[in-house]
Amino acid sequence: MKDTKLKSGILGYFKSIQSAIFLAVSVLVLSAVVIVTAVSLRYTRNSISENSEVYTQTIIRQMNQNIDSYINYMENIASVVSDSDDVQKFLFADYGQEDNRKRLLEQFNTILNGRDDIKNLGILCVENGSGKTDTKDAARDINQDSEPEVRALINYGFQKVNPDLNIADLEWYRDAVEGTSNSVLTSSHVQHVVSGERPWVITLSRGIRNNTGSGVREGVFFIDLNYSAISELCDQNTIGEKGYVFILDQNGNIVYHPQQQQLYNELQTENIDLVMNADSDTVVTGGDNGKLYAISRSEKTGWTVVGCMNTQELFNGSTQAQSIYMITAVVLVIIALLLSSFIARNITLPIQRLGASMAKVQEGDFSEVDVEVSSKNEIGSLTRSFNVMTHRIQDLMDQNVHEQEQKRKSELKALQSQINPHFLYNTLDSIIWMAEGKKNEEVVLMTASLARLLRQSISNEDEVVPIYQEVEYARSYLTIQKMRYKDKLEFQIDVEPSIKHIMIIKLVLQPIIENAIYHGLKYKESKGLLILRGYEEGRNVVLQIIDNGVGMDEETVEHIFQRHKVNYHSNGVGVYNVQKRLQLYYGSDYGIAYSSEKGKGTTVTITIPKEQEGYDHETV
Amino acid sequence: MKQYKKWLRLGILLCLVGILVCAVSYWQQQKSSKRWELVYIPKTVDGTNDFWTSLISGTRMAAKEYNAEIEVIAPDREQDVERQNEILRQAIEDKPDAILISPSSFTASDELLRQAKDKGIPLTFIDSYTSEDIQDLTVATDNLEVGKKLGEFAREMLDEDSQVAIVEHVKGVSTAIEREEGFREGLGDLEKNIVEVVYCNSSYEKSYELTMDLLEKYPNLKMIAGLNEYSSVGAARAVKAAGAKDRVKIVGVDSSQEAVQLMEQGVFRGLVVQKAFKMGYVGVRDTIRMLNGEKVVDNVDSGSQLVTPENMYNSEIEKLLFPFNTVKQSTDTEEERQ
Repeated sequence: MKDTKLKSGILGYFKSIQSAIFLAVSVLVLSAVVIVTAVSLRYTRNSISENSEVYTQTIIRQMNQNIDSYINYMENIASVVSDSDDVQKFLFADYGQEDNRKRLLEQFNTILNGRDDIKNLGILCVENGSGKTDTKDAARDINQDSEPEVRALINYGFQKVNPDLNIADLEWYRDAVEGTSNSVLTSSHVQHVVSGERPWVITLSRGIRNNTGSGVREGVFFIDLNYSAISELCDQNTIGEKGYVFILDQNGNIVYHPQQQQLYNELQTENIDLVMNADSDTVVTGGDNGKLYAISRSEKTGWTVVGCMNTQELFNGSTQAQSIYMITAVVLVIIALLLSSFIARNITLPIQRLGASMAKVQEGDFSEVDVEVSSKNEIGSLTRSFNVMTHRIQDLMDQNVHEQEQKRKSELKALQSQINPHFLYNTLDSIIWMAEGKKNEEVVLMTASLARLLRQSISNEDEVVPIYQEVEYARSYLTIQKMRYKDKLEFQIDVEPSIKHIMIIKLVLQPIIENAIYHGLKYKESKGLLILRGYEEGRNVVLQIIDNGVGMDEETVEHIFQRHKVNYHSNGVGVYNVQKRLQLYYGSDYGIAYSSEKGKGTTVTITIPKEQEGYDHETV
Repeated sequence: MKQYKKWLRLGILLCLVGILVCAVSYWQQQKSSKRWELVYIPKTVDGTNDFWTSLISGTRMAAKEYNAEIEVIAPDREQDVERQNEILRQAIEDKPDAILISPSSFTASDELLRQAKDKGIPLTFIDSYTSEDIQDLTVATDNLEVGKKLGEFAREMLDEDSQVAIVEHVKGVSTAIEREEGFREGLGDLEKNIVEVVYCNSSYEKSYELTMDLLEKYPNLKMIAGLNEYSSVGAARAVKAAGAKDRVKIVGVDSSQEAVQLMEQGVFRGLVVQKAFKMGYVGVRDTIRMLNGEKVVDNVDSGSQLVTPENMYNSEIEKLLFPFNTVKQSTDTEEERQ
């Protein structure tokens, strides 16, 4: 058989194709899943954080615009009110206060009606005495029971100005009167001006010029905004769960913060410096609790709207997406593992079955080699080919066995040839001479022996015979030979009775005895003796033919079984033939062994097994 | 065959371990966000008292922020020790995750508090404490410091022989004892000028009456110090009513709208203000942190600040004096007013 090299690269390293396929599929799927997951994770993370940054920016800008328009709206209210004649007259004129007051209150009422984002609104004017004729009188008209220096009208008219306050010192008042612009926006502060209340508000104040008198700003219109509108504007768009929006004024003070109270009580901090000094639209603080500040500054209010997001949370969305990816990936990997094991098994199971079958064939067992074939793929056709092949081998082997049997039988037949015709002629001649010599007894004996010999040689069709038959055959032959050679030959037969019925292939003893007579005893000067012994030795039966003839030298003994040394003068059934038959029948462990010494004689030992059940006893 | 089975097992095992890890981390995340149930028992829920209102709003704010449930129950009147103990008993029976209390009495609640402790309920003292060191956390103003600030400030306005009277809220309460001690310390050598100490039982009216008596009794009285909101405002009202605001200087502890008004009017010369909101907030925050197994400082001083007519409009002082009303509260008052 030719040695085909079956090295298939990496696959050759694995003990089984199944694990190779399994590993290959697993690695492929796993790496595909990992790569796809990693790419999508990265992409998601980036795009989500970018998106949320842009989204936050947009929201903050939108809020800033909303706040601007809200403040704008308030400014419009302020300008409408402060430019009205009623205000002029109420604050600066010395007459007609009641009518003006009524109309103004109506106006205030309209403004306040349905609005809960205005804490207070009102007009007031601190009179410093100049240009006023009768302050006491005016004051009495404005507020029934109030300090003389202030003319004021607040909300619905019944609230008083805090009498213990120096109003001119208040920031929002001072800035409105003395500042350069018309309206002033004051960030979060406590409004002390209304008696009995001190709310935190954002104040929009607008100076009112005394158009009739000095022409400079002498009074102030103010609107106190509570945080409801602003917080609504800031909270309308949530930026993440933990995200929030706060507003700083131009000085970095807090205008609005969802946790204003905590900030004021030092329970919270906000990185205001960072926001105020930021150059870009977004600033990120590092650390575990990193924050992303999205900043939008307003030209109009001077305020900075800041959206604050927890950077961790910024990635929370992506974390969620990531975990979904991860779970999907894990599930895919499990499915892939199961699938690859299924595929691997499906591919290799027929191969394994084929392999198992081949192993049996290798052992020489053809009993159940037929492998079932269900698939039509390469392995299927391989298996089919294997089946055909094994069948063919089986047929050939059967044929071979049969042929061998035939051959052996014919060979055996050929080897068991008949009695040498010369022997027959010589014997018959001897009988004739003895009859002529009137030796009746001898004639009878020899004729009887010859008859026995012939009967056994010709009539018995069996391949094997019991030992006693073979011995009787040898005895007949020896009797005839003894009579022919007269004083030259003497024989003894000594066979244990226990082996008498053990079978032996026939015509074994006679050729050896013949050999012993013609090559050993015949040339001996004195009378020769031939002993036939038979006995058990262990599990074997031993038959010995011992003569005290001329013997052989070692070289002759060595070449005794060679065919060309066969003596053609003998009956043609040479020692070689006997040996060959014995070994054909019993195996190479058995057969004939010669031991001889020149001048002293030869011993031939035939060994056959005692137990012959396993042997084929069929007849020839 | 064996090799491949090993691989398969290993792969599936790895996947399962991964899933398990995810599940455990998720579970722990869930666990850490458990909603704690707290009970806070202040001395009073008197809506007119800015100190308690502010403190309670601090506790509520912190509870909301840290996702906890908080129930605030208290007597209507500050010195009602019996009622407070009743509330405490009920709270112990309900067995919340923690009890926060501002004990009205230095000793009367000891037994109940021990019961709470025995039931394994963590205790947090806010503002005041008791004779026994039984609490897990204390968040309070350093009252010795409060008194000392007040005393040192008072000393600058006094002469060698100026007479001083003290109006205290409740006799025997830790806050009163410590503030008085601090005040005396702050006065230094002028401590000898203290002519009398009276107790108003945390009532404006009682304080008013006692002050009137004091004004009558000591015509040369130069200063009255009130050691809490009730006592100082009551005293200020009396002095204002008697028209003696220029003669008798009033200093006090804690602020309210009225106190601020009285300061604007020149009656109050100085107030030491506690950081009530912060106290309540920190009390709840740290209790929740403690429940979550985080490390917390077990005795927190929430701080105090001296307010004078000169600095009362400073932005920093305003933040302290005037509670920043949340949006909801401000709209409520608006509606009430209308």
